Amino acid sequence: MKQETVHADKVQLAYAGILSKATTLGMILVALGYIVYVFQLMPLSVPIDQVAGNWGLRASEFHQKVPGAPSGWSCFSHAGQGDMLSYISIIYLGIVTMMCLVAAGFAFLREKNMIYTLVSFAQIAVLILAAAGVVSGGH
Amino acid sequence: MGLKNIKVGLLPGVLATLLFLMPQLAFAASATSVDTTVWWVWVLGLFVFTFLLGIVAVIAGVGGGVLYVPIVSSFFPFHIDFVRGTGLLVALAGALSAGPPLLRKGLANLKLAMSMSLIGSMSSIAGALVGLALPEKAIQMALGLTILGITVIMFLSKNSAYPQIEKPDALSKALQIHGIYYDEHLKKDVDWQIHRTPVGLLLFILIGFMAGMFGLGAGWANVPVFNLVLGAPLRVSVATSVFVLSINDTAAAWVYLHKGAVLPLIAVPSVAGMMLGTKIGAKLLTKVHTNVVRRVVIILLAVAGLRALLKGFGI
Repeated sequence: MKQETVHADKVQLAYAGILSKATTLGMILVALGYIVYVFQLMPLSVPIDQVAGNWGLRASEFHQKVPGAPSGWSCFSHAGQGDMLSYISIIYLGIVTMMCLVAAGFAFLREKNMIYTLVSFAQIAVLILAAAGVVSGGH
Repeated sequence: MGLKNIKVGLLPGVLATLLFLMPQLAFAASATSVDTTVWWVWVLGLFVFTFLLGIVAVIAGVGGGVLYVPIVSSFFPFHIDFVRGTGLLVALAGALSAGPPLLRKGLANLKLAMSMSLIGSMSSIAGALVGLALPEKAIQMALGLTILGITVIMFLSKNSAYPQIEKPDALSKALQIHGIYYDEHLKKDVDWQIHRTPVGLLLFILIGFMAGMFGLGAGWANVPVFNLVLGAPLRVSVATSVFVLSINDTAAAWVYLHKGAVLPLIAVPSVAGMMLGTKIGAKLLTKVHTNVVRRVVIILLAVAGLRALLKGFGI
């Protein structure tokens, strides 16, 4: 019987290392942000009742009726409010993959693997454009 | 064993019947009616519901997103825009937490995932933009048809644990897509390579688009394409699918975030419930008959798909 051998290369291990730490941090941030939000430990930009009273509307109609509710990067301009903190923790989840891809891109570069260095940075560019709202309908 | 299987299948089976026949009785609200239930009852109910979904999803071998969107959009009072945004986050959070061990064991292959997700992530952005622009009824109808299609795929698909690929194609050789992993079942190393890479790339454009449009995650499509079309071993296909999900869903999630289609009030309990449920489900995995649960999930999906379709027709 053969002993288990690990076949992951250095790039995969680098990606896994960052992913593991970043995800654990993300889950802690999401939990803490939500506790601050629902227990109203900080002031809110929009009362929870108002959010719940309109969550049956289309997203576009919701934001017309509930101005001030977080969307995109607007949350950072009111980071001192509980609902914005919770939203920022969700934004963080959208950044985790980008951080891992940056690590992978540089690891491929160190290995002089130009194809995957290019693929990594092209992928990062797509995600950055999406995060910036350039290709994702942001304001 | 038989009794245990019945018990495992009973809860989702009863739930599916109840939801289909009497959604108003089951959840006492619809998106169009004036909802007088206090918000925390919905939030708590969502957490419990997604926790149960997480258990069932992992045992049945499907991603959480594919169950979450059709069921929650049919039976909870949240608009489908918010449900789709949350569905992507549910799938994303699951993929992020499942990722590290799969990469460290060499089961997930980064080169295979990155080759497919570069093009898939672009189409998932396009899918999300189209999905948020379409009228609600059209989305419900398309979602219903898609879910019913997934039900048929799940019912008919026969995965191949170790496909034999005689000759890799030129593109996969240029992209250095091949690998080796230790198979715990065979107790030996398994070498693998793939073929039909251009066909796979085209299919991932379609998969990305649908994932973004419906917020479904896309494990249900990634795995058959990796396994049956490209010829990657089943374990590699399942593990690599997680990475494609994490990249494609991140891209589409940004569209939903920018369009304001993510509400933390709904998203966080869903993500937490699903993640806790999948952890419990993973522990139960060796103790229950997965085929029984898989059949129940197929029924659950068919019911949810039919409900979405009927909602699309205004019924």
